[in-house]
Amino acid sequence: MNIKTITATLALTTLAFTLSAQAHSPSEHMQDAEAPNCAAMETMDHSKMKMDDPMMQAMMKQCMQAMHEGDHDDSETPDEPEKHEKDGDTNNFKHKHK
Amino acid sequence: MKSYLKSLALTGTVILLGAGIYLYSGVYPMGADTPHNSATYWLLETLRERSVVRAAEELVVPADIKSAERLLAGGADYNDMCASCHLKPGVTENDFSLGLYPSPPNLTLSDSDEIQTQAADVEATNAAIKRQFWIIKHGIKASGMPAWGANHDDPRIWNMVAFLQRLPELSAVQYQILTARNKASKGHGH
Repeated sequence: MNIKTITATLALTTLAFTLSAQAHSPSEHMQDAEAPNCAAMETMDHSKMKMDDPMMQAMMKQCMQAMHEGDHDDSETPDEPEKHEKDGDTNNFKHKHK
Repeated sequence: MKSYLKSLALTGTVILLGAGIYLYSGVYPMGADTPHNSATYWLLETLRERSVVRAAEELVVPADIKSAERLLAGGADYNDMCASCHLKPGVTENDFSLGLYPSPPNLTLSDSDEIQTQAADVEATNAAIKRQFWIIKHGIKASGMPAWGANHDDPRIWNMVAFLQRLPELSAVQYQILTARNKASKGHGH
């Protein structure tokens, strides 16, 4: 193995290592991302849920997004954003999960 | 006065010489499985805490730190970047929490020294929030805590801080929902 080959190998290895240590964008995690287990929300005590709690709002938002993704995956028909806007996020979620 | 200064200089020299000999002797145990003695621990902890408090003093906590958007955006990053050391609901220990020294604080516990957000004193709460931001951004030397600020912008770090405020309240199910990375959200709220 000549010096040029060794140098090229070392340079490529270093580059690969450096790139692996770069900033990761959220999209890099998408490959092994798991879907939120929104079905579990149905088993929660809804009487104790406060709709003005940011945590509750965040969970609902998350599940709404997951459902929309499901819709996209299940059918090829385009989403109807105006329909959800009419219902409002919270009401739409409650409607689907009660 | 002259003899006093002489003996002071002599004492200082002996102390420095002794410290140098101790340093180079290699006697101090550096293994992570041997805890510091209490004096060293106190010294390092005090040094760390005073430094972080001073450095974080000027930070301004975003007004929407409690928003659902930040909470959601920070959850996925916490799960990917922090949970392996700082744990998640339902997990009390793992290889990192057992093997690292100093042991990373369990951020799922409300009585953790990292989380003081339920404190009545708003100022203390703000100080705790600033401290968390600073530590995530800059890391802590020789502790295993990396400086995430090298390749994560401030809004993204504030999102993680927002998530930390609610983490001790989360059940395992709530945690799973909030930290799942939706394709639609892409993990960025801001």
